[in-house]
Amino acid sequence: MEIHKNFENVRRLVSVRRWLAKIGNLSMILAYNTGGLALLFKDAIVVMFTTKLRWRATLDQMNKIGVMSLPLVFLTALFTGIVLSLQSAYQLRLFGAQQFTADLVSLSTVRELGPVLTAMVVAGRVGASIAAELGTMKVTEQIDALKALATNPVQYLVVPRVIAGFFMLFVLVIYADVIGMLGGYVISVFKLGMNSHQYIKRTIDVLRYKDVITGLIKAFFFGGIISTVGCYFGFNTTGGAEGVGRATTLAVVTALVLIIAFDALFTAIFFFF
Amino acid sequence: MIEIKGLHKWFGSNHVLRGVDLGIRDGETLVIIGRSGCGKSVLLKHMMGILEPDQGTVIIDGTDIFSLNFNELDQFRLKLGMLFQGAALFDSLTVCENVGFSLYEHTNMLEAEIREKVGVKLGLVGLSGKEDLMPSELSGGMKKRVGLARAICNEPNIILYDEPTTGLDPINADVINDLILHMQNQLKVTSVVVTHDMTSAYKVGDRIAMLYDGSIIGIGTPEEIKNTSNPVIRQFITGSAHGPITLQEESNSV
Ligand SMILES: Nc1ncnc2c1ncn2[C@@H]1O[C@H](COP(=O)(O)OP(=O)(O)O)[C@@H](O)[C@H]1O
Ligand SMILES: [Mg+2]
Repeated sequence: MEIHKNFENVRRLVSVRRWLAKIGNLSMILAYNTGGLALLFKDAIVVMFTTKLRWRATLDQMNKIGVMSLPLVFLTALFTGIVLSLQSAYQLRLFGAQQFTADLVSLSTVRELGPVLTAMVVAGRVGASIAAELGTMKVTEQIDALKALATNPVQYLVVPRVIAGFFMLFVLVIYADVIGMLGGYVISVFKLGMNSHQYIKRTIDVLRYKDVITGLIKAFFFGGIISTVGCYFGFNTTGGAEGVGRATTLAVVTALVLIIAFDALFTAIFFFF
Repeated sequence: MIEIKGLHKWFGSNHVLRGVDLGIRDGETLVIIGRSGCGKSVLLKHMMGILEPDQGTVIIDGTDIFSLNFNELDQFRLKLGMLFQGAALFDSLTVCENVGFSLYEHTNMLEAEIREKVGVKLGLVGLSGKEDLMPSELSGGMKKRVGLARAICNEPNIILYDEPTTGLDPINADVINDLILHMQNQLKVTSVVVTHDMTSAYKVGDRIAMLYDGSIIGIGTPEEIKNTSNPVIRQFITGSAHGPITLQEESNSV
């Protein structure tokens, strides 16, 4: 009996057909969710421009997504700036080029680390809370109730969150950039003994418009991604409290992966144009 | 007049509705009975256009509701009211904002007018003066009655009730029964009531239909249902553990 069972297990493990079936199944799920996300995003954009905006709900979401993320973004950006300046000073010193620390911190924060790290911590905080809130509404039939009361859930719930996501990430990233540079400045000037005036001048001089703009374009889209993904997994929640937990996890993981993927895409596009 | 024609619904491989045909006349109260998980809520949600059928359709007053576009369907839904099984109150809104939701959303009425109207509806369900509570401060039975007030707030001419008396004490349950009768007698609304509560079914129903195995297996007046020869219906209305309905089929219930 025991031997037979083991044999079954081994056969299952080496069965090519099972692996293929699994891969096929996962691809189907992936394609389904990609399509669903794209459709929800499209719906949100269409509804955004064809119906009246809910100002109160939108401002409320801006507060939740933007203002309430400030402490988290502050800490992340500050420590990133500190680490970045220490690490680059350590390397640059070998070449006697320590003054380039300012350039390095400034450029990498504005182009890359500001948008991506901010988006990631906000995805963890906001993506999860959107998915949990909408998921709970879904499993308690509140989304159905909205429809029954002749109100479009996309207009009522998704549009305010997506707009808030777009604009608040934009603003948060400007804030994060400034705080990150500040972190680098504090360490470089007070700890590494660089010249304050020179550091500030280098920080600003090295930046081109393009650097700032591409960073902010990224931020803008990351905000849309976080909100849309949270809403999508919230709307597709099934199966009670456990389902809400699953939706939350999926929303955060998906948002993180998409942020990194789109970051690579944008960086590649901006590299060539 | 609501006509349901050959309605099929799958959730993945779960074939919940398997060809439901049902006609509901103007001004009547039709009670749908059936065991937990047999698809009663799913059927009601199709009448509201919340779920889309895989096959078949629902025709209300001559309009195929699944041929309407989004805005037309929303206009249509304003004529219908629905009480959800779990009340489905919006927990970020007060009782008043919940009950008056469609007035706030779809009319230009002033705050004071809405509050007055909401007060009247809350009075009907025995909850006067509870306007400013939040749903989390209400008991299960109270939530259900607020849900009912919300369903009737817009003076719909069709009302769908999903288990209106489940979870209520017998006295409150009877208040709801009276309210359903009142809506029918005074306002001539058409009602569809989903319930397991046979007392309520006999009291409010003009006709009773039984949903079993994804389709309607019997329909008739309360008298006809009481004296039915169909063994499945007999077993259900007498609430017996012995008969053609076996526990086996409850495996996919909610
Ligand atoms: N949105 C949904 N997704 C997947 N399955 C569902 C959904 N809604 C209902 N079901 C399934 O349909 C069946 C009928 O459910 P329901 O209509 O709620 O039963 P009841 O008769 O108790 O109201 C159940 O097996 C349930 O699991
Ligand atoms: Mg039900």
